[in-house]
Amino acid sequence: MTVRPQQEKSIVQRPAFGIIAGALWVAVYMISRMILKTPDLGQTTKILVALLPAIPCGLFLWAFMRNIQNLDELERKVQMEAFAFAFPLTIFLLMLLGLLQLAVELSPDNWSYRHVWAFPPVFYFAGLAIAWRRYK
Amino acid sequence: MKTKLRLLRAEQGWSQGELAERLGVSRQTVNAIETEKYEPSLTLAFKIARLFEMKLEDIFQPEFE
Repeated sequence: MTVRPQQEKSIVQRPAFGIIAGALWVAVYMISRMILKTPDLGQTTKILVALLPAIPCGLFLWAFMRNIQNLDELERKVQMEAFAFAFPLTIFLLMLLGLLQLAVELSPDNWSYRHVWAFPPVFYFAGLAIAWRRYK
Repeated sequence: MKTKLRLLRAEQGWSQGELAERLGVSRQTVNAIETEKYEPSLTLAFKIARLFEMKLEDIFQPEFE
C-alpha cells in the first residue's frame, strides 16, 4: 500500500490563522468600543464603527470553517460535542438573563450585550476541554 | 470494541505519530483508537486494515452484549 503524505495546508487552513483572525476580531471590537465612547460622533459614523467587527468576524468564520473541514473524524466529533455543550448553555444564559431582568434590575454596565458575548466562547472552550478529556 | 492496533503498530516499529501520518489522522485519534476510547468509522477502520494488510475483524473485535 502506498503511503500518501498529508497535503500541505494552505495558510487559511492552519490553526494559527484562525487564532490570529480571532484575536483580530476581539481587537477590532475593543477598538470599536473605544471609538464609540468618543463624544461628538455622528449617528452614521457610530453605526459604521459598530459594524466594523463584522470584517474580522467574516475572516474568522472563513478560517474556522476551513479548519473544521480539515479535521479528522475524532477532531470533528470533539468539535460537535463542544458545540453541543456550549449551545444549550448559551441559550440558557440568555434566557436566565431575560428572566432575571424581569425579576431584578440588571445593571447594563455589567450585563449588556457587550458583556454577555464573552460567555459562549468560554462555554465552547469548556466543552472542548471536557470532550478531549473523554478521548485522552 | 477491542482492538489490536497498538500491538500491530509496535510490530511495525511505528510511533503513534507515524501511524497517524500514514492514516491521515491526528496522533490523538490513533491514541484514542488504541486505548479503545474511540471507535473509528468504517472508512478509517478499512484504511487501517488495508495498511496492515489484514482483515478488519482481525484488528477490531466488536463486543456484543
